Amino acid sequence: MRIRYLVQKEFIEIFRQKELLPMLFISPLIMIIILGYIVKTDIENLPVDIINLSKNKAANRIINRIKQTPLFNLKHVFYENRDTIDALKRGEVKAVIVFRDSLEKPLSKYTPERYPEIQVLMDGVDSNTSAVAAGYFNGILKNYILADIGRTGIGLPVETKTLIRFNPELKSINYMGPGIVALLLTILTLFFTSISIVREREQQTMDTLLISRLTPLEIYIGKAAPMAVIGLIHMFIGLTVVVLWFKIPIRGNLLYLLLAAFIFLATILSYALLISTLVTTQQQALFFSWFSMVTFILLSGLFTPTQNVPVGLQFLVKINPLAYLIKIIREIFLKGNGIEYFYKDLLFLAAITVIIMAISLLNFKRFISK
Amino acid sequence: MKRIKAVIVKEFVHILRDPTSLVIVFLMPVLMMFIFGYSINYDLERVEVGIIDLADNELSRKLVKKFVNNNYFAVENLEEKYASPIKAGEKLLKSGDLKEIIIIPSDFSEKIKKNRKAEIGIIIDGSDSNVANLVYQYNERLVLDFVSEFRNMDEFLKIHTKVLFNPEVKSAFFFIPGLVAILLVMISALLTSLSISREKESGSIDLLFISPLKSPEIIIGKTIPYIFVSLIAGSIILLFARFWFGVPVQGNLLVLLLFSLLYIITSLSLGILISTIAPSQKVAMFATLLITLLPSIMLSGFIFPLESLSPVLRAISRVVPATYFLRIIRGVVVKGAELKHFFSEGTALVIFAAVLLTFASIKFSRNRKKAK
Repeated sequence: MRIRYLVQKEFIEIFRQKELLPMLFISPLIMIIILGYIVKTDIENLPVDIINLSKNKAANRIINRIKQTPLFNLKHVFYENRDTIDALKRGEVKAVIVFRDSLEKPLSKYTPERYPEIQVLMDGVDSNTSAVAAGYFNGILKNYILADIGRTGIGLPVETKTLIRFNPELKSINYMGPGIVALLLTILTLFFTSISIVREREQQTMDTLLISRLTPLEIYIGKAAPMAVIGLIHMFIGLTVVVLWFKIPIRGNLLYLLLAAFIFLATILSYALLISTLVTTQQQALFFSWFSMVTFILLSGLFTPTQNVPVGLQFLVKINPLAYLIKIIREIFLKGNGIEYFYKDLLFLAAITVIIMAISLLNFKRFISK
Repeated sequence: MKRIKAVIVKEFVHILRDPTSLVIVFLMPVLMMFIFGYSINYDLERVEVGIIDLADNELSRKLVKKFVNNNYFAVENLEEKYASPIKAGEKLLKSGDLKEIIIIPSDFSEKIKKNRKAEIGIIIDGSDSNVANLVYQYNERLVLDFVSEFRNMDEFLKIHTKVLFNPEVKSAFFFIPGLVAILLVMISALLTSLSISREKESGSIDLLFISPLKSPEIIIGKTIPYIFVSLIAGSIILLFARFWFGVPVQGNLLVLLLFSLLYIITSLSLGILISTIAPSQKVAMFATLLITLLPSIMLSGFIFPLESLSPVLRAISRVVPATYFLRIIRGVVVKGAELKHFFSEGTALVIFAAVLLTFASIKFSRNRKKAK
């Protein structure tokens, strides 16, 4: 039970730093609320200009349609030709839509079924937004024209009946929220644990620990345990906000979530201790843990789907513990999946944990015996 | 001027004495760019779709073909593989192996031929709303294509879509310049955030306090050397973006450098302000990473378009320097925009730098008074 004293000492050290305390307990709250509101991948209010050179009445009707959709924010409608590139270059608008009449036939030849020629100039820099916007726009037009033809008697011959499972309102927070809970388990635990040993070395208090009767394993656990507690507190703050504030239902079993969280904490803490024994200054420790954190996050599927990671780098996703945790948490939250769906991920996560822990412990023992 | 020069020289000595950190500063961004440039990718390709074609005749196969001959979807025929395809499909949807199931009912073609409404059943995994939205869009587009083929819609309608600036619609053109903006602010702010807090920790700050130098002189003198370090790091990042990721600079390189310089100065000023407030290097570093990283990624338009943010968050995004530089760098690099397009953005950056440096000087002279 010697460990108890070490754990106590660690807690005292954490709570002694007054300026760190708010960071420790308020930051998860702020992070999850702000992230929850920002991380909205829905595209709306796309600024567009329209140049209408058409004498066709259909053009005005289509423009009215565009005005009504929340996707577009119609800035100006011009009735004469003008330089379109400038506004696009400045980034004021993301698309310019030009309506003009075909020159092939004289105007008098226009039947109601003739529609103006439409030219869409898209700012392609944000490829995701422009792909979605172009899709929507084509949809608006085709629907309009099909409905227009429909007035003459024939309806739209094919209709899709779409059923959306697991997140029927397509709210992005339902997907991001659980992911952010996983994030909370990572950030501070990684940062604080990675400096725990190197700090003692910098302040020369490491020797005191070394001449004590604690075994290396005890020091190891004593350093990790307090941070595990803090990590779990963060997770519970996160879970509470996610469930009570953002009203995201937990459809699955919370116990599995806890199990996954425990395994994950073991990985991240042993990884942090590994960093702490390898570096020589706190600054380096912070840099390395920060770099690892950003890599973990960006390759975890939190923001962008992991399938998009190129084949050559897929192994980084496969060895990323956060990717497994996020996948499991999302399945538990949104799909209510039982363990039969994610036991493989859990096993992978456990395997990673064992490997990292082994490396970290061996390195720690070598470090101590020096 | 002479006195500022002395501070500059001293700071340079500091920088050169710690080559490890210098290497980290130059290597880290390249490494990060390498990983992130490849991993952050929104282009949705080969979404796993299961199709159950109960009609199985010429018309329905035509529709299935539409889904198969397409880069968006990787189609799997559930009927061939499973005895009870609908049940199997549901299970695959739950495990995440399928993102969508399409069911074509047995009376599909009959209804179309009789000019009655034919229905297609579609089940989408909505958990990732972004992916679900794109999948829904793709579906509608393909079905409309299918319809317009036998309705000869193209005769009525001529839409020419032209994607400017990024004709192949690669997301690298979007993310790489953004990444440059993020890395620049992070590295620059990190560098200066440690410069004063380090002196606080080692106690050498007292020497600066009792020197005849005025506070603004110390602040400016401490900032200038890092401009060079950041510029070198910035050039490395830009070269990497140009030659490794093949993002060509369409606009004027000098314009880009000018604005990069402004942005670097703003970022360094932010770091130095943090440095005057933070009691130790650890706090300084942590605060810098939090302050620069989260807003620069989340609130600058780097990943999430600013247009879809709520008004409050949009207001906050206006005080994030990365917002302005992101617009500039994307404009110059990808669209070939010129100096005149970014007058207001440049002004904003200058104002930021001035305000931050003033605050840093005030805070520093307060610390000084307290020390006395």
